[in-house]
Amino acid sequence: MQALDTKLKRLLSQVQKPARYMGNEWNARQKDHAEAAVRMVLAFPDLYEVGMSNQGLKILYESVNSRPGMLMERAFAPGMDMEELMRAYDQPLFALESGKPLAEFDLIGFSLQYELSYTNVLNMLDLAGVPLYADQRGESDPLVVGGGPCAFNPEPLAPFFDFFVLGESEECLPELLSGLDRLKKEAPDRKELLVRLSEWEGIYVPSLYQPAYKEGKFSAIERTDSRAPAVIRKRLVRDLDRAPYPTAPIVPYLQAIHDRAVVELFRGCSRGCRFCQAGYIFRPVRRRSRDKLVETAKQQIAETGYEELSLASLSSADYPDLEELINELDRGLYGEQVKCNLPSLRLDSYSIKLANRLHRGKRSNLTFAPEAATERLRRVIRKNISEAEIFSALNDAVDAGWQGFKLYFMIGLPTETEEDVEAIVDLCRRLRQYFRHKSSRKIGISVSVSTFVPKAHTPFQWEPQLSLPEVTRRQEILQQGFKKMPGIDLSWHDAETSFLEAVFARGDRLLAPALEKAWSLGCRFDGWSEHFSMPGWRQAFRETGIEPEDYALRRFGYDDLLPWDHLHCGVDKAVLIREHQKAFNIDKPEQGEAQ
Amino acid sequence: MTRIRFSFARGEALKHISHLDMMRLIQRALRRSGLPLVYSEGYNPHLRFNLALPLPVNVTASEEYGEVILADPVTPDQFMAAFGEQLPAGLDLTGAWIEDDYSAPALPSTVGAALYRATLVAEEGCRVDPVQYRQTLDRLLAKEEILAPKTKKKKTKKVFVNVRSYIYEAYFNEPEKERPLELYMLLQAGSRGGVSPFFVIEQLEKELTVECNYKAHWELHRERLYRDQDQFLKPLSEGM
Repeated sequence: MQALDTKLKRLLSQVQKPARYMGNEWNARQKDHAEAAVRMVLAFPDLYEVGMSNQGLKILYESVNSRPGMLMERAFAPGMDMEELMRAYDQPLFALESGKPLAEFDLIGFSLQYELSYTNVLNMLDLAGVPLYADQRGESDPLVVGGGPCAFNPEPLAPFFDFFVLGESEECLPELLSGLDRLKKEAPDRKELLVRLSEWEGIYVPSLYQPAYKEGKFSAIERTDSRAPAVIRKRLVRDLDRAPYPTAPIVPYLQAIHDRAVVELFRGCSRGCRFCQAGYIFRPVRRRSRDKLVETAKQQIAETGYEELSLASLSSADYPDLEELINELDRGLYGEQVKCNLPSLRLDSYSIKLANRLHRGKRSNLTFAPEAATERLRRVIRKNISEAEIFSALNDAVDAGWQGFKLYFMIGLPTETEEDVEAIVDLCRRLRQYFRHKSSRKIGISVSVSTFVPKAHTPFQWEPQLSLPEVTRRQEILQQGFKKMPGIDLSWHDAETSFLEAVFARGDRLLAPALEKAWSLGCRFDGWSEHFSMPGWRQAFRETGIEPEDYALRRFGYDDLLPWDHLHCGVDKAVLIREHQKAFNIDKPEQGEAQ
Repeated sequence: MTRIRFSFARGEALKHISHLDMMRLIQRALRRSGLPLVYSEGYNPHLRFNLALPLPVNVTASEEYGEVILADPVTPDQFMAAFGEQLPAGLDLTGAWIEDDYSAPALPSTVGAALYRATLVAEEGCRVDPVQYRQTLDRLLAKEEILAPKTKKKKTKKVFVNVRSYIYEAYFNEPEKERPLELYMLLQAGSRGGVSPFFVIEQLEKELTVECNYKAHWELHRERLYRDQDQFLKPLSEGM
């Protein structure tokens, strides 16, 4: 950071991991504010090491900073210790590249990856000295914009944001920024500017839409300006080979959660798992060409010095001719000592073969997500693997020398019964017995169980979450079941955290005051178990007259207007309804794959 | 194979990073440099590279050392150019030379002591009383025993070590107008054990009898490293 003043330097010597706030990393861009017509700061509402693991952030950073006349800097949620010092010393939230306060930028763009980062969004606005509510901001305040998966149902955040960008913004953001410079000169005031912006594809200006409620429940939404579109359609990158992608990503000083080079094989996923929001909002599947991937990987390794390369996507084994890609990467990176890895392995023999092919060194653990333990329930969620396939894939893995597995399951899925939960225990018991007889080595099995959260724009968007007491009871079934099974390591997600996530994932604007209240009561980093405070949230809901159960446990009907129905994710509601119905008629044969 | 040693300085811009961060940073810079690096054999190949002594977080330095093994002959000038270009602001390569003696001990095992300078920076309007600090330091050094907690991995029981003998020298600069108070500390360091400069300062502040009613903080700098040879300390730079 160039403009580190003495006060800030002093603060950095007193906090944990000061490198979170330093900036100045290798490949960070220092662009001149005087030469940029539009200045944006990308605000990530979580710690530096989480935000710097997000590939979207790196893509947007590249897409804006590779253009002349505009710049993008970064800001992250300060740790609790840093926040305390910043408040004590009147240090406003600053951008890492220039050290300038966020309020001096034209735009503050929040990356909305996760519902439980919402209190951090408010906290960052407050630390930046920017009024929390959009209607309290004046002509000289920055525009506050949100994007990312949560922008597909941003209603609980609506009053705090000037606008949202729906869908993929690496191509439209630079367009938007140059257009904004022009619009600012033409539009007489902020309000008119926002109306004009709303005419752009993918831009949602929530203040131009007025919701109505019947008996405390969302029932209708009306436009307050006829120029705003009735339905906002998402932005989409058509050709990934031509879309901006970092060739020289920032190399953090401190270890980020994912600290490695990343090439994105494709976007979207053809699997169509019914619980998976990413599988729906990133449709259709678009691939990067093999040549482009190899070229990008070589550039990234040369520019960063990274020792690891991740071949990322929602289901990497689905990339056509993946083995040929790996061969070419091997040739292209020969002698560089780069380890390749493939996240999101599927439970089939082909994936195991790939893992064997890629992995050098000790074969420790492989991670898979069967999600459900009975074939029936897997068909309901459209994770169509048979038990025979699971056994045969894991068998191949053990034969290849892998030491153990981590298996991800979900509880609370629609139609789940107690038998389905007990089947998790049973499946693991049988796996354990099978490998005990088969292998002289000890095969470690660890099981991680999360709670299903119904998400907007998925076939399960109408479904309620399982009630808190019932989630707790099913978690107890698992704990009891695994107690008698030494050698299996069980972990589970906190039920209350998933409950809160469900409240906001399908929430509406009535939740905004509760969110502000929770923040003012000190709620921060709600996704971090060491900071999450359910009592704080309960108090916030009570004081703002919200029954959170009404949100998490609500079953919507097909005729109900959903709070996010005016936002189009690219998949028609009719398709979601069809998939929803199919989930409950799994005996009928499936036809073809999702597009 | 060529064994190259290099010296570098760390400035304000990078003083907040940890030793592990430094290791990663330098290794990645080496990997970007295009120099003919050598990796260890085995499943998890790692770079044949060392730093002489970990530099604590929040400390700047003028003369640190590292060494790296290269597969092909490279001149110090070539090394300086290729590696120096890959270092971020705040890290300056100050020299490089070839260690001909291939059997020479690895750098970390040669370090015996380090000289630190701690500057007392008072906030505006605060006056620091140097006399009081000098007297306190004398009292501290007069002690025969200064116990420091020793952190052993996986052991919860606290073990204390007497570190008084690790403080070879400690003295304040001669008073000068307009110049802040500076504490110089020559401390044992390296594989035979050592004491942290932060710990010495903490002990000094504990000994201060008069309550501090002003705001001031210490800024730390490592001046140079020493080797312990025949009971004498010699700067690490000598004979390298």
